[in-house]
Formats: sequence, C-alpha cells, structure tokens
Amino acid sequence: MLLGYLTLSGLDVLGVLQSKTTPEERQGYIDWLYHCQVPSGGFRGFPGTDFGPGKRNKDNEAWDPANVPATFFALVNLLILGDDLSRVKRRECLEWLPKVQRADGSFGELVGPEGSVGGPRDLRYCCCAAGIRYVLRGRSETGLEGVPDIDVLGFISFIEACQTYDGGMAESPFCESHSGHTYCAIGSLDFLRRTCNDLKPVPLLSAGSNQFEALITWLASRQTAQLEEPDEDEDEEQREVTDTGSIDNRVRGLPNVQPIGADTISCAGFNGRCNKYADTCYSFWNGATLMMLDQYSVVDEVRNRRYLLEKTQHLVGGFGKGPGDPPDLLHSYFGMVSLAFQGEVGLSPVDPTMGSSERTVRHLESLPWWQS
Amino acid sequence: MEGKYSTDPEWASVTPIDLDDGSSSGAMPLATIAYPAEYLEATSYLRAVMAANEMSERALSLTKDVISMNPAHYTVWIYRAKILFALDKDLNEELNWLNDVSLKYLKNYQIWHHRQVLLSSKAHFPTFPPKEADFLMEMFAQDSKNYHVWTYRHWLVRHFRLWDQPRELEDVEFLLKADVRNNSAWNHRYMLRFGPRDTSLPDAGMVNAGDLSTAPTEKGRLSIVDEDLIDGELKFAQEAILRAPENRSPWWYARGVLRAAGRGLAEWEGFVSGFVSEGAVKSSHAVEWLADVFAERAGKEAEAVRMLTMLKEEFDPIRKNYWDYRIRKLDQAVA
Repeated sequence: MLLGYLTLSGLDVLGVLQSKTTPEERQGYIDWLYHCQVPSGGFRGFPGTDFGPGKRNKDNEAWDPANVPATFFALVNLLILGDDLSRVKRRECLEWLPKVQRADGSFGELVGPEGSVGGPRDLRYCCCAAGIRYVLRGRSETGLEGVPDIDVLGFISFIEACQTYDGGMAESPFCESHSGHTYCAIGSLDFLRRTCNDLKPVPLLSAGSNQFEALITWLASRQTAQLEEPDEDEDEEQREVTDTGSIDNRVRGLPNVQPIGADTISCAGFNGRCNKYADTCYSFWNGATLMMLDQYSVVDEVRNRRYLLEKTQHLVGGFGKGPGDPPDLLHSYFGMVSLAFQGEVGLSPVDPTMGSSERTVRHLESLPWWQS
Repeated sequence: MEGKYSTDPEWASVTPIDLDDGSSSGAMPLATIAYPAEYLEATSYLRAVMAANEMSERALSLTKDVISMNPAHYTVWIYRAKILFALDKDLNEELNWLNDVSLKYLKNYQIWHHRQVLLSSKAHFPTFPPKEADFLMEMFAQDSKNYHVWTYRHWLVRHFRLWDQPRELEDVEFLLKADVRNNSAWNHRYMLRFGPRDTSLPDAGMVNAGDLSTAPTEKGRLSIVDEDLIDGELKFAQEAILRAPENRSPWWYARGVLRAAGRGLAEWEGFVSGFVSEGAVKSSHAVEWLADVFAERAGKEAEAVRMLTMLKEEFDPIRKNYWDYRIRKLDQAVA
C-alpha cells in the first residue's frame, strides 16, 4: 500500500499520472484498492491476509485486520486516482477508529485478538489515524449520526507528552526526539485543526509559546553539512579529560572553534536526530513539518537543493538515502517533494500534511459529503 | 505444484487458500511483489490455519518459516504470539530464537514489538530477566543508536521499574564513554533520572507534560526536586562538554536538567561565559546559550543580538535564516 502510494503520488507530483497511465489502468488500481477493504471497515495493507469469501468469522478476524497506516494510504491512493470514495465503508471505518485508540490517547495499528489494541504506542499510527478522521469525517456530520468520535483531547495530550527536553518529538513519551515522529506529531495536530473549529489553541502550533519555539529551534538544528561518516580521525576528537585544575582553567585550555566561511559549504541536507548524518528523506520530514508550522523560511533552501540535486540524486534518476547510494522509491519520492516545497519548476505543489499534491486535497474537499 | 507443505503428510489435512490479489476480477494490483514459490506456498497454508484459528505445533513452525522469509508480515507475529501462549510454550526459548532474528534484521520493528508482548506476561516474567540487558548491549554493539532497541529498553524500564537499577546507568555510561555524541544514550539517561516513577500517571517526554490539567508554564518541571541529583547531572554534562565542546547533546541535556529543577539557564552563565571571549570562542553552543540568557534579560537584548549575529556570520552559516528569525523576534520585542 505504501509502495503504491509512493509510485502514484510521485507520478501525480510530476504531473504525469494521467499521461503515463490509461483510464483502464487507473480504474484497475481503484478496484484493487477496494479489494483490500476489510468487510468490517478499514483496509488491509496487502491482500495476503484475506481468507476469501465466506470464511471470515469472529474467531479468525483478528488475523485479517484493518490496519491504520494501510487505511490512510489506501484513502490517499484512491483520492490521487480521482475516486470519490463512494465505495468506502465510511461509517464502519469511523466506528472502527476509536477501537484502535488507547486510554492514554495514543493509537495502535490494528484491533488484535479479543479486541485488544495491537501494535506499539507510536506517533506514526496517531498521524495516520488523524488523517483517516480528516478524510472520512470531513466538515460535515451528515450520515455519521451516532458514530462516536475519537478522544480528541486525550489524543492531543498524548502528542504533547511526546515532546522531549530538546524540543523535538519522539515516538512515544520519553523516547528520543526524531524528525519522522516530529512530522507525525505536527501532522496529527494539523489534521485535527483542519476540521475542528472549536479546538482550543494547542501550544505546539502557537507561535511564541515555549513548546513552539523549542520545536522550531530543534527543526532548524537538523540541517547539517555532515553528509556521511567521516574518515577515521577527521572527526573532532573526544578529549581525554584530565580532571585537574578549576573548571575555568580547563575551559581556557580548550582549542578555539574556527569560524566557518559561508562560501566553504555548498551543500546541507537534514538529519533525523541529533548527531546523525544527513539523509534525503529528512529534507522532507523536517521541511514538511516547518511548512505546517508556517516557518519554512528558516531553512537554507539553496544548500538543501544542492544537497539533493548534486549529492543524493543518482545518475540513473531518482534519489538515494545518501551520496552514492542507489535510488529507491521512498527516498526518490521524499527528495522530490522536498524540492516541490521550494517551488522547483516542473513539480506540482504538495500539501505537507497529506503528503500528496494540493490538487488531491482540493479534490477531497470538493466532495459533497465532505463539505460543511 | 509440488512444495514443502503439499508433500508433507502432516499438512495433508489442510486445504491451502491461494492468494487472491483481485486480478482475476479485473483489479490491477499496485506495486506487485514477485513472491518466490516457497513463500506463496507457505502463506497459502498460513491463511488456511489462520482461517481455522488453529493453535497447533505445526502452525507455530509454519509462522517461523514465513517470518524467516518475510519478517515484515504484520499479522504473522500476532498469530505466533497467540499460539505461544495458547500452547504454553517456553518463552525463553522463543527469546533465544528472537535474538538471532533481531541481529539479522536490525531495522525491523515487528520483532521488538513481539518481544514486548512476550515480556509483558507477568505470569512468565514476574521480574526482570537480567539476560535482557546483556542482549540489548549486544544489539548496541551493532548500532548504538538503534531506535527500536532504545524504545524497547525504555518500555522495559517502565514495565519492570528499573530507573534506579545500577545496570541501567552503567550501560548508559559505558555507551557515552565509547561515544559522547550518542544522543540516544543521553536521552535514556534523562528518562532514568527524571522519568515519573508513578506509572499510574500519564507518561511524558517532559516531566508533567502529558497531564492535561498541568498549566503550560509548569510543564517539564519536577514537583519535588532533589537538588543533589540536579547538581550531579549538571556536573556530568559539564565533564562531557569538556571532552567535546561542539557536541550538542550535553548542552541540551543540561537545559533539560535545569528546566526539570525549575532553575534557569542563567545559572550556567559563569561556566558558559568562559567559552566566549573576544576573538576566542570554545563552543558555538555556548554562544547560543548566552544569546538565550540575554534574550530573557531586560536591557540585554543588544547583547543577545550580538551573540546571534556571531553565530550567523562566523560559526553557523547554514542556519543564517534561523538566526535572522531569532534576531527579528528580539527586534520586535524591543520595538
């Protein structure tokens, strides 16, 4: 499902989805996506868990569950293909969503045996769940009478709890801050903000709050000229500490930091965690988060563009993870979208939260049942 | 097709369920994966035993076979866990097998979640099995920043209440000694020191931050502060900074420690000033620290701008736009 998303959305952002596929193919893909829909609502990640018609029952349904990320990406794929979601079991899917939410507000990835919430506590599931809610609930309650909503306040509380002491966001409370999870945290809140008019201001989304400013600082700090593992001994050495003398004297004895000439650094990508090396996909995770927070201007766009086009773009086309790495679908898509955020010629504008073209989001928001 | 399962008498009673990818009814699969014949056969038998909700030895060994071919199959792990408990299998044996799989597939998270599901069983693991810590250190020898392993270790600490077990801190210090820039280890240390011991309360990345009733200004602050512990942690961070002054991790660790204690950044003004003098800067993070101290002090805005300008023009040109963002905010505050 994810591979399908990277391919379809990639073609869409390049503006060639209509010319590179036939109407029959697009209809065939849509039919396949619906083939992955689970009878009780939601989508499976691949058809491999389907037992076939008539075999599903209470005892075995846990082995063919709807999956939260698969459901989100199935919906996005359908929208990219221009489908109107009329065959989606909207009501059932929205009834299933609160069943994958835990008491602490977090989401799992599926309903496991005996109705338990399966999968780790993980912001990725939160973001996909918020995305499903945004796509299927929309701004209208029409047809959703009696369908319980998720626990929105508990959800926000869990997300806030994932902010760490250095300002970034972690997979779950007290884990290490990580750009992918930071994207998911802010994406979750942004999805909520799009449809909840009565949402109280969330500090993480409010410029000027400590939480917001610490997050911007952390995101800006992810841009780095450290592109790959340095050769042995080139790294700043870890000094052997001689625990003698006063602290002041020991500080005085340290070598000076040499000023860095701006013209000596041509490329700067992004890392996903403090003290890691740059990686193509983090140009997206950090950049998209800054887009959602309306602070993309803190990025050094010129050096990011050079990093992507001159360092990780591969001779055969596409992007690899780092300089010299073979291209793959994931890094190619996210490298390209990072350039789209910066207005690269030939690429369609991309909605950072949905991770698909703005065209796709306009299509969703124009569906009659979606609007208020 | 003749295969491993179709020719095995043990499986003769089972009718495999073939993969229905929808193509027979006109659907076009997206991103089709060219599965090898062995995998297709094994998963057709897996669907059959899953459909029958079969809890058996043969189903258990089938899950192992499927996992060995595709450890990212997300339901096979849940099914396997259910069978292990249903047949009351020896979970230590399962852990030994998992150790090998984990070392082979370093980036797979299903493996770690499965491990967590097993260790969650109070009946099987009423207390912490010490061999776990040894195995995690073996994993860290492969990749000392493996996110899945750290997340699992965090869960272990909370589940078995290990914050103050000497082994936890010893392992963190061992890893920081090997690489003082290991931010994962710094983060784990913060959790050991400041993680809420009361597991009935919501868990939070900053102390108190996960509780809806906490005022925003109180988030990240301990309600009861052990000042000796705080002083010890600040000293620990200072020693690490002296080893590698451009290492961001201990600088931000110290900020988190001071906030937990409700003590401001200004407490380190003396220490930090030693790193910044005319024409001799020992750490760019010290310049940033001073900028933050001055930014919060009335009448010191110009000093803050001077620090931010130094970062922009001399030490951190990549973040020119960010330092300008900070300078603009100070200008607005003054104006």
